[in-house]
Amino acid sequence: MTSSRLAPSGKSKGPKSSGSKPIGRRFSFRRLLQPEFYLPVVVTGVFLGAWEWLGTITDPILFAPPSRIAEAAVVLIRDGVPAFGSKRLVTLQSLTWTTLNGLLVGFAISIITGLLIGVLLGRHKTLARVAEPYVDAIYATPRVVLTPLIVLWFGLGYNARLFLVWLGATIPIIINTAIGIRNARPDLEEVGHSVGMSERQLLRHVIMPGAVPYVLAGLRVAAGRAMIGIVIGEMFLNLVGLGGFIRFEGARLRTANAFVAVMVLGIMGSVLISSLGLLESKFASWKKEERSRET
Amino acid sequence: MKRGSLLSGKIWPLHVLFAAGVVVIWQLLVLHAGNEVLFPNLDSVGAALWDLTSSGKLHSAMLESLRLLFTGFTFAFVGAFFLGVIMGSSKAIGMALLPLMSFIYCVPLIALLPLLLMWFGFGFTGRMVVVAYSSFFPVLLNVYAGVRETPSDLVEVAQSIGLTGRLAQFRHVVLPSSVPFVMAGFRLGIGRAVVGMAIAEVFLRLGGIGALIVENGARFRTAYVIAAIVPLPLLGIALTKAAARFEQRVQYWRYTAVSE
Repeated sequence: MTSSRLAPSGKSKGPKSSGSKPIGRRFSFRRLLQPEFYLPVVVTGVFLGAWEWLGTITDPILFAPPSRIAEAAVVLIRDGVPAFGSKRLVTLQSLTWTTLNGLLVGFAISIITGLLIGVLLGRHKTLARVAEPYVDAIYATPRVVLTPLIVLWFGLGYNARLFLVWLGATIPIIINTAIGIRNARPDLEEVGHSVGMSERQLLRHVIMPGAVPYVLAGLRVAAGRAMIGIVIGEMFLNLVGLGGFIRFEGARLRTANAFVAVMVLGIMGSVLISSLGLLESKFASWKKEERSRET
Repeated sequence: MKRGSLLSGKIWPLHVLFAAGVVVIWQLLVLHAGNEVLFPNLDSVGAALWDLTSSGKLHSAMLESLRLLFTGFTFAFVGAFFLGVIMGSSKAIGMALLPLMSFIYCVPLIALLPLLLMWFGFGFTGRMVVVAYSSFFPVLLNVYAGVRETPSDLVEVAQSIGLTGRLAQFRHVVLPSSVPFVMAGFRLGIGRAVVGMAIAEVFLRLGGIGALIVENGARFRTAYVIAAIVPLPLLGIALTKAAARFEQRVQYWRYTAVSE
């Protein structure tokens, strides 16, 4: 096993048959009978059952059992409820759309700027060492405490939300891109030099492709932080979207409604992160060393 | 790369240069805005920092925050460690709980805040739960991975020399071999605990550093806001760096990546 990092393919261990390409697992009936499939289902069932039972014995204001959450979800999707203090009905779809909009636009800006800065820091080692403390400091600052400043600089609206998403998501992309660029294989770089590649060609054809797995790992971390950014923005600035809805309904003790929004956020995060994870494992065969373990 | 190593001996002039650049950009923003509320002059930030430290406000706020941080993190670490060991030792329990845990890990803490507030109140318990929740999952998932990935040859050797009890094996083989994972979880967890602390102090009941920031923000005393924010990243970095240092210390005996 220790020699696996030297193996050219660097394929991860696992039940895959050797040599075959890692294709997506196909559905088969026999998989349903395997414990790794049915155990989570059973546990989820038990969990929901216990939750339902707890809901019947505790104060309905404090605790919403799954059945009431499901009812609330149906109402929210079909008719919508009046929220944010106005009479207008708001549906779950429109809330989700508001959140997704800020999330994806902010994330896209993060990817562009993060890659640019990451490449710059990856290529210039001295610059990276000098800039590192600042990057670390921004990374380590909890974004909630920055909200007073963000309100002053960007107001309470869309731009402020975008900034919160950007601030959270860009830094992991920068860090991982820089690591990926720096870990470019020196032998390949030499080959590139010897065939007379210019710096730009080298970057485009040798170094960037090698950094892809690192960048993808960074994107996965960034996606989680982008989610947090958009929720902070919606909860602590203008109350909008799913985040605002959670806070508004939570404060009015309509727990079931708040829970529906929490679920949607959870699913949104899971889908975003696991789709990036899938993309990552597609590229995993390139990778020669373990990526950063940050989760 | 060569140039980097040439300069690495005396990098501090570049640090000074870079810091000066940051200061100049900030002061240009100050000039451009011409408004102490938007971009306070750096010397008023310095004065605010001095005022906060000399009056003891920063000191007492910091103590309050740290108490919250360490109580919450201790609970999270102990709980996550035991659950992680159980999940890692029993294949069935691990498989059963992992999807659930991963899903909960994906829900941002901040989205659950109103619910946590309802259930645990905004007193010390509620705030502690927020801190513990935020650092629980990185520890849990790392401990789980560490116990799971115990090299089977080590266990076999232990068995062959007569170490057959589950508990003895755990004590002498599994636990030492999972130390790097546990430490990685510790490092990630303590970083997230700082974030949880800030969230708890801003969102639940104002207290500690969070209160200092929000109260000054509400009065538009931006210099004081910035002065109160500065200790937080320093705290986060210091704790993470200390954990990383300890991590290297504990695993000096490891040669190559056993975990692979």
